[in-house]
Amino acid sequence: MNQKQLIFISFLMFAFSTMANAQKMELGKVTLAELEEKSHPKDPSAPAAILFKKGISKFDYTQSDGFTMITTVKTKIKIYKKEGFDWANQKVWYRLQSNVKENVFFSDAVTYNLVDGKIVKTKLKNEGEFDEKLTRYIGEKKITMPAVKEGSIIEFEYEIKSPVIGKIRDWDFQATIPVNYSEFKTFIPEYFIYRVNQKGYLFPKASVEKLERSIMYTYREQAKPGDITIGGGSQENLKFSETKTTYIAENLPALRDENFVNNIENYMATISHELSMVKYPNVPLKNYSTDWESVTKTIYDNDDFGIELNKTGYFENALKTLTEGLKTQPEIVAAILNYVKTNVKWDNYYGYSCNDGVKNAYKTKTGNVAEINLMLVAMLRYAGINANPVLISTRSNGISFFPNRTAFNYVIAAIENPNGVTLLDATEKFSQPDILPLRDLNWIGRLIRKDGTSKEIELIPKKPSKEIIFMNGTINPEGFVTGKIRKQYTDYEALQFRQQYVSVNQEIYQENQESKHHIEISEYQRDNDQDIAKPVVENFSFKSTNEVENINGKIYISPMLFLRMKENPFKQEVREYPVDFGYPTQSKYNLTLEIPDGYKIQTLPAAANIITADEFGAFKYIIGSTGNKIQITITSDINTAILPADYYAVLKDYFQKMYDKENEKIVLIKA
Amino acid sequence: MKVVFLYAFIFFSIGILHAQKTDYLFATIADSLKENANAVVRLDQTDIRILSQRNLSVSNKRIVTVLNEKGLGNIDATEYYDKTSSVKSIEATVYDAFGKEIKKIRRKDFRDQCVIDGVTTFSDNRIIYLDYTPVQYPFTIVFESERSTSNTAFIPLWLPMNDYFLSVEKSIVNVTYPENLGFKKKELHFSGFQIQKTADSPTFLSYTATNFIARKQEDYSPQYLDIFPVVMFGLEKFHLEGVDGNASTWQEFGKWYSEKILSDVTKLSESSVAAVKKLVGNENDPIKKAKIVYDFVQKKSRYVSIQVGIGGFKPMQAADVDRLGYGDCKALTNYTKALLDAVDVPSYHTVLYGNRRQRSIDGDFVSMQGDHMILALPSGKEYIFLECTSQDNPFGYQANFTDDRDVLVIKPDGGEIVHTTKYIDKDNRQFSVGKYNVAADGMVSANVAITSEGSQYGTKFPLENNAPTENEKHYKSYWNNINNLKMNKIAFRNDKEKVQFTENVTFDAVNYGSVTAPRMIFPVNLYNQYSANLKRIRNRKTPFEILRGFYDEDEIAIALPDGFAIESIPKNFELSGKFGEYKTELVQTDAHHLVYKRKLWMKKGSFPSDDYETYRNFIDQVARNDNAKIVLLKN
Repeated sequence: MNQKQLIFISFLMFAFSTMANAQKMELGKVTLAELEEKSHPKDPSAPAAILFKKGISKFDYTQSDGFTMITTVKTKIKIYKKEGFDWANQKVWYRLQSNVKENVFFSDAVTYNLVDGKIVKTKLKNEGEFDEKLTRYIGEKKITMPAVKEGSIIEFEYEIKSPVIGKIRDWDFQATIPVNYSEFKTFIPEYFIYRVNQKGYLFPKASVEKLERSIMYTYREQAKPGDITIGGGSQENLKFSETKTTYIAENLPALRDENFVNNIENYMATISHELSMVKYPNVPLKNYSTDWESVTKTIYDNDDFGIELNKTGYFENALKTLTEGLKTQPEIVAAILNYVKTNVKWDNYYGYSCNDGVKNAYKTKTGNVAEINLMLVAMLRYAGINANPVLISTRSNGISFFPNRTAFNYVIAAIENPNGVTLLDATEKFSQPDILPLRDLNWIGRLIRKDGTSKEIELIPKKPSKEIIFMNGTINPEGFVTGKIRKQYTDYEALQFRQQYVSVNQEIYQENQESKHHIEISEYQRDNDQDIAKPVVENFSFKSTNEVENINGKIYISPMLFLRMKENPFKQEVREYPVDFGYPTQSKYNLTLEIPDGYKIQTLPAAANIITADEFGAFKYIIGSTGNKIQITITSDINTAILPADYYAVLKDYFQKMYDKENEKIVLIKA
Repeated sequence: MKVVFLYAFIFFSIGILHAQKTDYLFATIADSLKENANAVVRLDQTDIRILSQRNLSVSNKRIVTVLNEKGLGNIDATEYYDKTSSVKSIEATVYDAFGKEIKKIRRKDFRDQCVIDGVTTFSDNRIIYLDYTPVQYPFTIVFESERSTSNTAFIPLWLPMNDYFLSVEKSIVNVTYPENLGFKKKELHFSGFQIQKTADSPTFLSYTATNFIARKQEDYSPQYLDIFPVVMFGLEKFHLEGVDGNASTWQEFGKWYSEKILSDVTKLSESSVAAVKKLVGNENDPIKKAKIVYDFVQKKSRYVSIQVGIGGFKPMQAADVDRLGYGDCKALTNYTKALLDAVDVPSYHTVLYGNRRQRSIDGDFVSMQGDHMILALPSGKEYIFLECTSQDNPFGYQANFTDDRDVLVIKPDGGEIVHTTKYIDKDNRQFSVGKYNVAADGMVSANVAITSEGSQYGTKFPLENNAPTENEKHYKSYWNNINNLKMNKIAFRNDKEKVQFTENVTFDAVNYGSVTAPRMIFPVNLYNQYSANLKRIRNRKTPFEILRGFYDEDEIAIALPDGFAIESIPKNFELSGKFGEYKTELVQTDAHHLVYKRKLWMKKGSFPSDDYETYRNFIDQVARNDNAKIVLLKN
């Protein structure tokens, strides 16, 4: 069982209970009691709360447009504190491009206040409505509610008209404030089958009902709903059934962010719908996404994916020169990866579909993720390597546990060999085979082969990235240590180092390090910061002024000096979400400290060996002395990239023990 | 408290035209200009043509070699426009290091969008900017644009070096103007820079700057605007959003502003006037009346930034704010004024720069300046200033955003430059009384009351509105010197009348005393360690500033565990100098009890770069002594 399943099952155990409590959840029914309420009964610190949020997605039918989706949402929010005023500004995004143009209409937006014991309504007028184009693809309608004070209740409704039926808008039951009642209804004609996905810790209660519905349309030869042409013909009444599904969740707690969570939205109670099948009368079934195989097939068949992937005739000449004389596969892969990274720069757009196409990207030397990585696959294939694209969902896009096309938002490349799979991403200049930008490290991806078949690929690294440190120091009784240090970083540690520091002026880097560690640095030298196949190495001399104390003739010193853990990163008492380290790590320290003349050891910290339950963490501390030298060897391993929240107490305790050990002091006395 | 006069910024971007056709090769950049530079301006030429009181055109040619990705921000290929101004042309060409053209970027390939930031809900102002993905470094970009506007109240500044880590090979500004509009200029911070004034006639002015070597931004550096050369331009006869103006003194300027821009914006409905009169009741004292009104506005309104209509100069009508309950700084200030008018308390719109860093309106240069608005309330010969965008500030509180700077108070009979309230040195006091005891296993239990005033009040009082979990997080990071910190009780008292914020907290932490048998060792100063960790800056070039200063006073009673004897305690310590004063005392009252007293005064000041090492040394000694430890020995 992999970790994903493990965590998911533990979510399910929290399955949320709901009561179909038929309160009056309508707009315009604000009561004195609601306005008088000073704080949320279950969460007194909440700055605001959603009293109810009700949404309906249904299908409209017109002769000219066929089926379109109408989503209406009614919301009632109570503002308790000033910090909740942001909830009086609302926005809804919509698609702008002509073939998928959506429209958003706000209505019934009213603020209610209690003034001298009476309920006063203030309606939103045009002046508080704004429309904005955010990007080429996305616009946003915004409202700013009038007369909002502490204690106000605001209500509004909006409607989204959309020609896009491939996906129903995600419904978030949870928010960063408490939600008292959340209801979402879908009315889906029998022609459409949606795949329903739920995520988060809390699950709504669902009920299903079958309804009859009919629409009028003009019949012409070969015409059918969804493919209607305008013109003469006979008026027909089409009867069909519709499925009404109601999801209800009540009393949802506020979602609060925590450290080491990759994306809090992964844990928000949300429901999403994606079209998986269309079955119009007298037309063969059309399958979209019922399982991962068909999801990947659908994506593969998309013009902006499969066709772009198979395009040739633009890079062959360059590639021939590039790979000439190269013998081994790793050499060829490295050369091609480097070629793509150097010659085509990422424009920061995500997506598994090409925007302007691979050829254009090659020509203009700029492209989106799909253009760059599909081009990489094509080049690798041309060089005779068994390469394929891998669809993934970046950290910011979250995780989908069920098959659907929008579960993915990114594509990388993979090479399959008998001894395993190697992953590549040419959008990051410091990436290497199997060392990908951190945005890629999110659960699992799907590899698509030429024949359209697919396979699950683990994205989370298993091999630890290392930090190896050698340090020699001489203790000065005046209260400082001078010495030399060598730090070496491999794999992800090297990637992170390069991403953070290579572009920083070295003098400024040194000043920052000096300030962070309370040291003075000289003779700083860095190797391989551009030679990405090798570990990054830093060498410098230091003077550490903060780690030695001379109290009454005794010297107290932390043997790790400025490398000791300065605080336990896990401070919160309890944790609800998994802890995400990104990748497994190993740190190794080999330290030697020279005792000054005239002093001898009074106390040395004891050796220690700390291993957690299930061995996800292991810390080994060995200390000894010979002559005037103290030797310390420390190894610290985190053997997992992600740890379920159940382990939090163990993890916190483990870090605490490490902290205590690393901060214990050597005591030297006059000989 | 957010910035609103967008125009002021718009004009900071620099403009230009007519460069010679030269090959801008990377190789021809002098080594001295490459050092510490992320980008090098090869040529920046701005041609400012004031054609009439209502017609200003600015052309810009800017050639920048970008050396690395941090230099991308120095391309400045950006223009702004709105209803009264237009961008006539804009284009860019990218060349590689060898001068070979890589890409031509036409107007349609620039991004054109609404000017919006995190706090702006909506804006009429539009931005056109270049979104170019570099394919290699270094590269050179030639950017040309032309913009024209009817607003002559703002004329772009000339700021040849408008960033740290940026070198300038050559920068030229040419200004042409009719003789009769009262053109004026002001030169600032020229010393130490190569600048030639190449023309200065009644209708033409020109400067050329050459070889400005990139400066590093160093901690506590002033803003570049305060130390790099600047020339300000202005007109006595100007035009703003459909209104002509004529002012050679602040008095005239204020009168114009008052009459033409602010005259018709303070009307309220009769019922609202009646309501505020009722609210104030029989109160006669104008200050007390103002307190009632300010409190009313704070409860009723919220800050929303909406930049529509008259481009950020004219406040929204008071009646609209009354109805909607929101507005930007101008709208809320104006609304408060309207309410005060209704109860016969005089008050004045006040224009200033709102920022943590004190920046004054330039008093010798009469012109449209500032980016924020507050309200001035006369109180004897002084003024009380009201920040109307805040729902929490005490009446008259200014620290950290509008304090200690010159502002323009706009009265109906004219403008007046006034200095706002200072919050310096001991005004910003924090005093604490606390006690803690250490157990035999090293666990510490503590109770402290910390009271903050002045600018320290401003950084503390928002805690009151936090969720408990947020506050727990706050203390765990604020006291990150205390490992295993566990907060037991947190209580606050916010005295807005005295402007004092008191935190009363109880906490404990296991293993505070680090035990290596038979000794236990821990720092005496449990909860107010000064941990500013100053960078060692090699060859500091810029002066440094301590913007406000502060004063802390602590008294801690310490109880030691039974079964331990004191092996050593820190000696009393004292330090004083131009940066401040510091004193700690530890008095043993009996075998197991000590009292620790500490005073730290950091002074406000501006200091030359040479003083930095001394300052760092001062801070280091304070930090070191704050970490001084008690050593106990088990009996």
